[in-house]
Amino acid sequence: MDNKNISIIHPRPSSIVAALYTLRDLNVDVAILHGPPGCSFKHARLLEEDGIHVVTTALDESGFVFGGHDALVNILHKVNDMFHPKLIGVVGTCASMIIGEEMHEPVMEANLDVPVIEVEVHAGYRNNTKGVLFALESALDAGIIDREEFKRQQHLLEEATNVELRHGAASKEYLAPSRGDVKYKVAQRIIELLKEGKRGITIMNAKKETGYMFADITLAVNEVAEQLGKADNIINMANIDQNLGLPRVRHHAECIMKDFEEKGLKVHEIIGGLDEYPITGTTIDQLIQEKYSDYDFAVITGVPHAIPMDHLSDMEIISVTNGPRQVLPLKELGHEHVLVEIDLHPKTLGVNHIVESEFGATLREVAKESL
Amino acid sequence: MNVHKRIAIYGKGGIGKSSTASNVAAACADEGYKVMIIGCDPKSDSSITLLGGKRIPTILDLLRDGVDVKEEDVIFKGYKGVQCVEVGGPEPGIGCAGRGIIVAIQTLKKISKSLNEMDLIIYDVPGDIVCGGFVAPIRKGLVKEAYVLTSGEYMPLYAANNICRGLAKINTPLSGIICNSRSVSREEEIVTKFAAEIGSELMAFIPKEQIVQDCERDGFSVIEKAPDSNIAQIYRKLARAIMERDTSVMPKALDDERLRELTR
Ligand SMILES: Nc1ncnc2c1ncn2[C@@H]1O[C@H](COP(=O)(O)OP(=O)(O)OP(=O)(O)O)[C@@H](O)[C@H]1O
Ligand code: SF4
Ligand code: SF4
Ligand SMILES: [Mg+2]
Repeated sequence: MDNKNISIIHPRPSSIVAALYTLRDLNVDVAILHGPPGCSFKHARLLEEDGIHVVTTALDESGFVFGGHDALVNILHKVNDMFHPKLIGVVGTCASMIIGEEMHEPVMEANLDVPVIEVEVHAGYRNNTKGVLFALESALDAGIIDREEFKRQQHLLEEATNVELRHGAASKEYLAPSRGDVKYKVAQRIIELLKEGKRGITIMNAKKETGYMFADITLAVNEVAEQLGKADNIINMANIDQNLGLPRVRHHAECIMKDFEEKGLKVHEIIGGLDEYPITGTTIDQLIQEKYSDYDFAVITGVPHAIPMDHLSDMEIISVTNGPRQVLPLKELGHEHVLVEIDLHPKTLGVNHIVESEFGATLREVAKESL
Repeated sequence: MNVHKRIAIYGKGGIGKSSTASNVAAACADEGYKVMIIGCDPKSDSSITLLGGKRIPTILDLLRDGVDVKEEDVIFKGYKGVQCVEVGGPEPGIGCAGRGIIVAIQTLKKISKSLNEMDLIIYDVPGDIVCGGFVAPIRKGLVKEAYVLTSGEYMPLYAANNICRGLAKINTPLSGIICNSRSVSREEEIVTKFAAEIGSELMAFIPKEQIVQDCERDGFSVIEKAPDSNIAQIYRKLARAIMERDTSVMPKALDDERLRELTR
């Protein structure tokens, strides 16, 4: 692909952060950042909200010069005493990796009765999915996952990278962040479509825990359709297969499904697992071609840019993303309405129920007014 | 006396930078100059022969211990009042020596008043300039001129030539080439030619003599331990030449082929 060599200048999450999230999905209780105190702060904080302990060896100037061997040994003992973890992750950073810190020796020296996943990673990789890969490789070495799951994850990663290159945040040298279209107007449009008797598909193609909020949009569309007496006009697709993915990811799928069932929402098509958002495209495309090609509109949430336009192009598309840099590529793909759920991710950490989305709330409000 | 010499001696590892630096420092002190030697090598061996074989605490040792470093903690008077400083650094194979040099140099700059009062400051750096940290004294504006030490052998000349290329890149003038002999054939001729071709000149030809090593073994410079030796006179002459030197050039490095021709 010719955009593989472009030099992307907008800021983006690092491989270190990607490794941290992967360790979380592997259910580590403690993640130790071996590096400077402020490294990856924002995400470290978010992960604490998600229930894992994140600590740092806090390498200072003297640590850079003399190395952080002792600091790492000490913190391993400390977290073991403080948190009694069942699984620990140690994550490299630019600072420690550049000076050639060896993380295995301190882990051996600390000699804890707890398995430790060591991830040699820094922030300088072009694709931050490298951080995920390194974490998974280390988990494989440590016997935390089996080779089959590793292969599956590796494939998903490659596809995720391709999705971003094709139409995502890695598709252009610079993508300006945007807040997308006005939610109120788009809500009105959906109600209008339903009132006209148009038929629509909701496609939730969410990345892991972000599903907790994107699922709310599926709920809202169905609620409103029901209020308008058009419940049967909506078909629901969602990537919430409960048997796929790392344990934590499967658990999210179970929780979301339970909430759907409680609200009486029927998911007509399960299009994959919550970590399969980069590969659901083909399934979705095929389903639409076979069964739903004459539908009038689609509400696509999560990672809408992973879904091919082949059999969607005749529909009016409303897509909802949590990436402000995703608006432009989605418009270019031909999505009429693109909405951004600002700051979605933090609200989906540490929860096990569907959380209200801004667009879902708007849709419900607008529906009330128009009844 | 109104001199303000700030020099660094570069050259291939093990070629004799530290022993030349300490002998020049001692010789200048003999002449009554206020001299400081700053060892920028984690091995901290630049000032040993000025201190009767003793080691001094290094700046980085103290910073590591969290000491609020003062001038008197890190500057030690050696032979004839030569002020000796060692930057220090991690054990080989651990941490980052380059960052260490940067931090230590910045600390020294901040705490030391005497830095400005010196007639001559010699920065003694390690042979391999592996990264930016090792040229920190230059980059932070502390070194004004460089000398390059080499023998007439191919590899030291190759290294010297590379260093000249590097100096030009970071805009640091070269004040001269010093030959520290390894007793190879046509040595003086080769190094003289090399110096001329890169646009500079040969400042001194220091013979290879056992007495340098004997004095070093006892923990002294030649100037202190064997002041009447032939080689002591050569160091003195070099010291005077350095103090009087007022020309320097941006060196033009030779291409590989020319360098090889020169040594054949
Ligand atoms: N002219 C000389 N005659 C005999 N021996 C010498 C002479 N010059 C230096 N030496 C000896 O060579 C050895 C290496 O010298 P020195 O440590 O000064 O080299 P260096 O360039 O500073 O090395 P490094 O790059 O490791 O710092 C020492 O043992 C020193 O005594
Ligand atoms: S440069 Fe690297 S080590 Fe430093 S804070 Fe950023 S990500 Fe962390
Ligand atoms: S090459 Fe230089 S900057 Fe890099 S770790 Fe080594 S000493 Fe430090
Ligand atoms: Mg030396």
